[in-house]
Amino acid sequence: MPEAPEVSIAAASEGGYPVLKEDLSPAGAGVPTFKHSRLQRLADRWAHLGFLICSLLVVGLIGGILYFLATRGLAAFLPLAGNTGRALSFSEVFLSADWAPSSDRFGILPFIAGSLGVTGLALLIAAPAGILTGVFIAKMAPAWMRNLMRQVMDLLVGIPSVVYGIFGLTVVLPLVSRTWLADAPASGFAVSALILAVMIVPTIVSLSTDAFESLPAALDEGAQALGSSRWQAIWRVLIPAARPRLLTATVLGLGRAIGEAMAVQMVIGNNPQWMALMRESTDRAPFLRALFTPAATLTTELVQELPNTAAGSTWNNVLFAMGLLLYLLTMVLILATRRLGRGKEA
Amino acid sequence: MKIRFMAQVILAGLLVAGAAQAQTVTVMGSTALGPIVKKAAEDYMKAHPGVQIAVSGGGSMTGLNQVTSGGCHIGISDVFATPDQDKAGVKNHNIVVQPFTLIAHPGVGVKSLSAQQAEQIFTGKIGNWQEVGGQNRKIVRVIRPESSGTRAVQKKTILHDQEFAKDVLIQDSTGAVVTAVATTPGAVSFVELEHLEKNKNRIAGIAYNGVTCSNETVKSGKYPVFSFGHAYTNPAKLGDPKVKQAVEDFLAYILSPAFQQNVIKAGYLPVDYVKSLKTKL
Repeated sequence: MPEAPEVSIAAASEGGYPVLKEDLSPAGAGVPTFKHSRLQRLADRWAHLGFLICSLLVVGLIGGILYFLATRGLAAFLPLAGNTGRALSFSEVFLSADWAPSSDRFGILPFIAGSLGVTGLALLIAAPAGILTGVFIAKMAPAWMRNLMRQVMDLLVGIPSVVYGIFGLTVVLPLVSRTWLADAPASGFAVSALILAVMIVPTIVSLSTDAFESLPAALDEGAQALGSSRWQAIWRVLIPAARPRLLTATVLGLGRAIGEAMAVQMVIGNNPQWMALMRESTDRAPFLRALFTPAATLTTELVQELPNTAAGSTWNNVLFAMGLLLYLLTMVLILATRRLGRGKEA
Repeated sequence: MKIRFMAQVILAGLLVAGAAQAQTVTVMGSTALGPIVKKAAEDYMKAHPGVQIAVSGGGSMTGLNQVTSGGCHIGISDVFATPDQDKAGVKNHNIVVQPFTLIAHPGVGVKSLSAQQAEQIFTGKIGNWQEVGGQNRKIVRVIRPESSGTRAVQKKTILHDQEFAKDVLIQDSTGAVVTAVATTPGAVSFVELEHLEKNKNRIAGIAYNGVTCSNETVKSGKYPVFSFGHAYTNPAKLGDPKVKQAVEDFLAYILSPAFQQNVIKAGYLPVDYVKSLKTKL
């Protein structure tokens, strides 16, 4: 790895601006100053304004989306103007597993549990696989393979999710059902989590490779000089040292997984009644049963029902409340990533 | 040369002015009904150069929402307006008939179901194909989401307004339903007839009460499972009497025998096939 240029070291200490030290000394102290023409100064000012407007637009857009989601979503609970539906209580929405909008019952617990369940399972598969691949690429693979793997991972990140979904629907589902389930349908948490895991592994691999590559070589060499085996060096030294950045990688993967709609929608089976089904089930291994029970998540329900419900109806409002919930969940995840990222410098 | 150029400019100006004066009728809604309404619009505009008809998609509920609020002149929909929209004064026109059929994975070993068997399969009382004379295989019910028009038709005609079983697979579109049924042994579902005809090599049709769904059996009144494609207008919001006239004229054209002949090619049936049947769907 080439040495970082001097200026970027100064950058870290000067709040990110690549400024040379001399420029900061008081004017008139023998420092060369540059004369700009009026035209240059004018162009500078307009450019400044342009950048300002662009960044304000972005902030405004995010705020606007939040405002829109909040007004429509909170309309489910408040008797607002233009609201043709009835106002619901928080508990009958967030604490009820009974979803039957046509019969005026709006419990979204199955979707919240579904989103958390499928995302959690996907991470259980993807995080170890991704981090270990990262170790391999950064610390073990020969150079040609490292380059190849990096490019493959970058390509995989760019594949549209619907492609993963089609693959799951037409290849994985029939295969799993034929191989293990005696032709019973395989839709449910297991296959959805598998597809999601395949989707987010490249993200986790890329970021954890970076994490391991950025560790000082002395850590690895020191550990081995003290007599640790390859495995001990990785497990006891490298992974703990890279931990904050590995957590960031995992949380970013989590963010991608929880917001994914298309791919999951095609393989999960989209059954809002899955919790009721599980309760009635007399199966001896309910957890295994749940893995192959058609279920639903916040995103899949939104994709399926939002285009077909009347604006301002209770049903439509609750769907917006689900969107708001997803937005807030993602916000929390992004803030968590920030916090973890800062942890690495401390 | 110059004169010719000026003449061209004036002609172009006149054309633009003429187009601006043309009545524009906007149609929004169901993507399923879109192609047939677009065809009607093209034919109609050829015969009536003064009228522009713009057809766009968005989904049935979008069409209904927009026509209720005055955002478009005609809202096309696979489903009925909600009670609130009815109260707002929207008016229904049935423009085509849509036949529906039961389908299953080819290996289930059943060719026909009685009305009672079909009802009990989807409400969950029957759970194995063996109980209706087929293979010993679990029945996998594949249905559409709760807000879908197809599901509403199925609930009314097949389930007689009872609830669906809790143990179901839900697919977002008819295409996804067909794929799921084709790849899942034991699967059963309910789709528009045209989707069965397009996928005869992958899925099997199932007769209802011994009657196979076809244009002829619907026409003769033997086959009872179908719905209407709707065109909604909101007379209170049409405003300009010229626009109102154009809208009424266009709807009359869609319902004319000359155009209704075209709908068969698109997988629908003419409305007068079932006029005498007096169904509420």
